[in-house]
Amino acid sequence: MIEARNITKFFSIVNEDRTADGITAVLSVSLTIEDGKIVSLLGPSGCGKSTFLEILGGLQAPTEGSVYIDGAQVLEPLPSTRKEMDEYRRKYRLLSPLANGLIKNRPKHDIAMIFQDYAVFPWMTVLQNVKFTLKLRGIPRREREPVAMTYLRKIGLADSLNKYPSQLSGGMRQRLALARALAVQPRIILMDEPFAAVDALTRERLQDDLLRLWYETGITIVLVTHDTDEALYLSDEIVVFSPNPGAIRNRFAIDCARPRRRSDPELLALKERITSLFKYDINHESEYSI
Amino acid sequence: MNKYETKGARSAFRLALRELGYFFKGAAMNIFSLEFLMVLIPLLGLWELLPRMGVVPRTLVPPPSDVAVAAWDMFTKHNFLKDIGDSMLKFFMGLGIAVITAIPIGVLMGWNIAMRKRALPLFQLLAPIPPPAWVPITIIFFGIGLPMQTFLIFIGAFYPILFNTYQAVKDTEPRYLASARVFGASELALILHVYFWHALGAIIMSVKTGVAMGLVMLVIAEMYGGRTGIGYVLVEAKDYFQISKMVVCMVTLGVIGWFLIEALKFIELKLAVWKVGR
Ligand SMILES: Nc1ncnc2c1ncn2[C@@H]1O[C@H](COP(=O)(O)OP(=O)(O)O)[C@@H](O)[C@H]1O
Ligand SMILES: [Mg+2]
Repeated sequence: MIEARNITKFFSIVNEDRTADGITAVLSVSLTIEDGKIVSLLGPSGCGKSTFLEILGGLQAPTEGSVYIDGAQVLEPLPSTRKEMDEYRRKYRLLSPLANGLIKNRPKHDIAMIFQDYAVFPWMTVLQNVKFTLKLRGIPRREREPVAMTYLRKIGLADSLNKYPSQLSGGMRQRLALARALAVQPRIILMDEPFAAVDALTRERLQDDLLRLWYETGITIVLVTHDTDEALYLSDEIVVFSPNPGAIRNRFAIDCARPRRRSDPELLALKERITSLFKYDINHESEYSI
Repeated sequence: MNKYETKGARSAFRLALRELGYFFKGAAMNIFSLEFLMVLIPLLGLWELLPRMGVVPRTLVPPPSDVAVAAWDMFTKHNFLKDIGDSMLKFFMGLGIAVITAIPIGVLMGWNIAMRKRALPLFQLLAPIPPPAWVPITIIFFGIGLPMQTFLIFIGAFYPILFNTYQAVKDTEPRYLASARVFGASELALILHVYFWHALGAIIMSVKTGVAMGLVMLVIAEMYGGRTGIGYVLVEAKDYFQISKMVVCMVTLGVIGWFLIEALKFIELKLAVWKVGR
C-alpha cells in the first residue's frame, strides 16, 4: 500500500530580474493506493504530476508531508527549523539523501520506475540494460541472463538483444524500459507518461501488453498521464490533478469489468465528465487572466 | 579447456590484427584521399621547384628532396629513431600520468558536490598558469632530465583532461541517474556505470586536447634540457643552421600528433559504438 500524507512540494526559483520566487508544484496531496491496483494521475502538463510521482518514488524529498510504502517512510522530509536544518546538513554533507549507499547496491523500496523519455542507458545493449538492473537488485551473476531473457521474450524484444537503444524505435525503447522494470519483479511500478512519445497504434499495443503483464503479476501501477482515454482504459481509479498549485481535484473509481473495450459506453460517459472538468478549468482560468 | 583457451587467444590476436588493419586503412584514407592528393602533389612540386629555380633562397627553404636526404642521413647515421623513441617515452609517461590522475579526480569532482567544493578552487587557481611558466621551477626541483620533462608534459595535459572530465560528469542527465537510483544503485555503481559512460565522449575529446598540449610541452621541455629527443635535435639543428634537419623534426612531430589523434578517434569509435546513429 502506498500512502501519501499531505505532500507539498515547493521549488524556490530566481526570476529574470534576480528576485527570489517560488512555485508550489504540489499542494497538500493525500492519496492512498491499494495493492494490485492501477491508479492514474491525470491532468494537463504543469500540474505537478511528475513531481508527485518522483516524491512517491523517493527521487525528490517533499517539502512537507511524507510518503509511506507498506508503513515504511520513503524519504525523510526536509527540515523545517533551523536546528533540524543544521542536523540535516551535517548528516547529508557527503552523500545526498537520495543515495542508496556508497558501495553496496540496495534498493530502498520495492519500486521500479518508467520515464516518459525512456531513460534506458544508451551505452548498454538491450540485454545489458536489463542485466544491469538485475545486478543492481543483487541477483547473482549466473541468474541474470536467464531472467533477463525471460522478460525480454515476454515483451517481444528477444530478437534485438545486442542492439543499442539508439537502434530501436521509440516503441521498442519503451518496451525495453518496461522489461527492465518488470525483470526486477517489483511490487510497485511508477510510470511517468510512459506512452506519450509513441504513435497511437503502438501506444494501444503497449497498453495491452502492460495490462497482460499486470494480470500475470498483480503489481501495483501508478500511471501519470495526460491522455484521458489511456487513463480510462487502464485504471481502477483516476485521480484528476489541477494546476496552480498542483492538487487533487477529483477522484473517479472505475468499476467497469475487464477486459474492457475502449468504446465501452460506461467509459465514454465518464470521459464526458472528466473532459468537462478540464473545460471548466480552462474557462475559469481565462476569466481571471482577461 | 586448454584447447579453448589457445583458440580464444588466437582468435583474439586475429581480431586485434584485423582491427589494426582497419585503423591504418581508415587513418590513411582520411589523409590520402584522391581529392587531397590533387592539392598535396602540386604543393610539393611547388615547394621543390621554387628553391631550385632560385625564386626563394635554397639555403633558407630547402626543397623536399634535400629534406628527404637529411631524413635518410638522420635515421641511418645519427640514430634519429632513438630520439623519437626517447621523446615518445617521456610523452607517454607524462600523458599517462595525466590521464590516470585527471580522469578520476575529474569524475570525483563532477560526482560529489562536497568534493567539488574542496578541490575545484585549487585547480581553478593553478590552471591559468601557462604550462611553460612551470619550466624554471621544474628545472630547479627535478634538475634536467626525464623527471622534469615528464612533469612538464604532465602539466600540459592534466588540466584540459581534468576540467573537461569534471564538466561532462557534472552534466550527466539526471534522468539516467534517477532511473538507476530507483533500482537501488549505490554511488559506486552510478560512477562506474552511469556517470563515466555518459561522460566518455567528452573525456576522449579532452585527451585529444591533452595530446596537443603534451606535444607542445614535450618540445619545450626538450629544448630546455636533456641530451636526446626530437626537441633537442631541433635546437641543435638551429645552432648549426641545418634547416633541412629542422624540417624533418617538425614533420616528425606533426606526424606523431596526427597519428595519436587518429588513434584516439579510433578508440572513440570502438568504445562508443552506441553513439553511432544517435
Ligand atoms: N526542479 C524544479 N525547479 C523548479 N520548478 C520545477 C522543478 N520541477 C518542476 N517544477 C515546476 O513544478 C510544476 C510542476 O511540474 P511537473 O511535476 O513536471 O508537472 P507535470 O508533470 O504535471 O507536467 C511546473 O510548473 C514546473 O515548472
Ligand atoms: Mg510531467
